Amino acid sequence: MEKLILINNITKEYKMGKITVPALNGIDLEIAAGDFIAIMGPSGSGKSTLMHILGCLDTPTSGDYILNSEKVSAMKRNKLAAIRNREIGFVFQTFNLLPHLNIQKNVELPLMYSGLGKKQRIRQARKVLDEVGLSDRLRHKPSELSGGQRQRVAIARAIVNEPAIILADEPTGNLDTTSGNDILGIFSELHSQGHTIIIVTHDKAVADRADKVISLVDGLISNGNIS
Amino acid sequence: MAISLKENISIGFSDFWSRKIRSIVTITGIILGTMSIIVVLSLVNGINQQTLKWMMERGGLTKITVSRNWEYQSETDQKNYFTLKEFYLIRSLLPEAAYFTARISRNFETTYADNRFRSSVSGVLPDFKYIEDWDVSEGRFLSEFDLKNSTDVICIGSKVKEELFGNKQAVGQFITVADKRLRVIGVMEHRYMKGGNIGNENALSYMNRWCYIPLSTMINKIRNQDEIYSISLKSHTVEEASLLREKLEAIILNLRRNEPVFNIESAKEEAAQMEENAARFQLIFFLISAISLFVGGIVIMNIMLATIQERTREIGIRITVGARRRDIFLQFLVQTVVVTSLGGVLGIVFGLSILNLVGKYLDIQLIANGMMIGVALLVSAGVGLIFGISPAIKASKLNPVEALRYE
Ligand SMILES: Nc1ncnc2c1ncn2[C@@H]1O[C@H](COP(=O)(O)OP(=O)(O)OP(=O)(O)O)[C@@H](O)[C@H]1O
Ligand SMILES: [Mg+2]
Repeated sequence: MEKLILINNITKEYKMGKITVPALNGIDLEIAAGDFIAIMGPSGSGKSTLMHILGCLDTPTSGDYILNSEKVSAMKRNKLAAIRNREIGFVFQTFNLLPHLNIQKNVELPLMYSGLGKKQRIRQARKVLDEVGLSDRLRHKPSELSGGQRQRVAIARAIVNEPAIILADEPTGNLDTTSGNDILGIFSELHSQGHTIIIVTHDKAVADRADKVISLVDGLISNGNIS
Repeated sequence: MAISLKENISIGFSDFWSRKIRSIVTITGIILGTMSIIVVLSLVNGINQQTLKWMMERGGLTKITVSRNWEYQSETDQKNYFTLKEFYLIRSLLPEAAYFTARISRNFETTYADNRFRSSVSGVLPDFKYIEDWDVSEGRFLSEFDLKNSTDVICIGSKVKEELFGNKQAVGQFITVADKRLRVIGVMEHRYMKGGNIGNENALSYMNRWCYIPLSTMINKIRNQDEIYSISLKSHTVEEASLLREKLEAIILNLRRNEPVFNIESAKEEAAQMEENAARFQLIFFLISAISLFVGGIVIMNIMLATIQERTREIGIRITVGARRRDIFLQFLVQTVVVTSLGGVLGIVFGLSILNLVGKYLDIQLIANGMMIGVALLVSAGVGLIFGISPAIKASKLNPVEALRYE
């Protein structure tokens, strides 16, 4: 079966003046469409760096990233923007909502960059907000919501354009156990709907649900597949 | 794909409102700049229109006047006046002129019974009333018969009438001027220029103190000499005025051996000159406004740069969900233009609302028009467009990962 994501000996170095900080030291990875992948590892091991590369927000120092049989490094900037817009949904630990927009507007944002008309945008945004159980909060600002609710808005925003891949970098890191479990439930649900999910987590329980767990240590994958 | 302009403008507005105080501070320079554009353009326009109105009041654009050139000092002894013969010669050489008059003026005390009034009495031709566009309000003006026969008649200004006769009938009465008894045959229309008050005196009120008698009466019975220092004429149309002036000048130079003893001025050419001067004046003030707008633009650019710094994270988020460089660039450029245009609109509104105040202070009516409003709007939007570019480029080039890490 054709792999959705192929990562080939990727490295990433950050240059800080004269010092170069290695963040990824040669990562190989294959992810099939529909996979539920958990990435684990200690702080500073390169999890976020890897996620940024997967999300086409950052470029590796060396190595290849092939997405949907296309070399990401060969893509033009606008193509990358289109991929971020349509193929990938990103969920962050800190939610990253726009504070001065209400939650419906926040969720409309990716559709705006897709060039969708206002009516359709509103319909789509309301639909996904309904799916995450927030249809009664459309006009609220993010600051008026709890952490769990904010993360649900962020998920709604990530899925509103129906991307194949959902990337979540410690989505429950800022949440208490109960709301964290709610959020994880949503990811399971999305997985069962066919989304490919890649989630960075410290939670063993999450890892147990995953098809595959990738352990990162010092920018390297430390073990193979766990079924 | 991408965000439409309309959408960008609405983002620009909501950004503006969510940062009201800063936005207002940001656009102060633009407000002042556009305000000064409106005020200065209206002022120059007002002055222009006032001068034009003045010219219309004084006979219109077809009028040509000959008067002594006070800067000319004769080395040869060219006469600085015309004799009556010369005047008629000049007139006969310019049959295309519509109206012609010579004028000899002198100050005299006019008396009626016990009332006295010092007036300027002019000997003129009947054409005078057409040249000045000024008729009598009672009685009649001087006629060809009066001129031919040097009749002892006089037309008096409204002020002269008021001072000598009060409310009594003036036409038909005799007044004394330089020991001569003259019959009042007409009272001139009262002259008053709307909006033309200088202090508490109207710009035209001096005319109401004048009196008119036939030129022949002045020459033969009062002055006993025919030194004519001033000639006025009119062409049939405004288009003909320049040519008529040129011909007149050639004739007069010929009479005075090419010495510039006289000034020959055409109202039309003066109006053109005046408009040219006003345009120059306007340009200078426009440059001053431009400097204040430039400073305003620099201020806005810096505030936008600071705003973008503050909104780094937002930019990172927008890039994450699919914004292209162009989208970010346009978002901030449009926002800057929205901000400066709003400043422009406020500047225009404030500018228009203080026009009357400034006008009262300077005692000149300031007249705005749509063109000025358009210019002010374009200029304010243009400032945003120019000074918004560099912040917008900076925003569009942010690295998304670093932008997302920004606290
Ligand atoms: N912009 C940067 N500049 C310099 N070094 C960086 C930068 N981003 C990450 N690093 C370094 O790269 C390494 C990997 O960082 P990364 O954020 O990927 O770790 P992580 O596994 O996500 O950690 P955490 O669990 O704390 O989020 C770290 O040593 C970090 O200091
Ligand atoms: Mg991390």
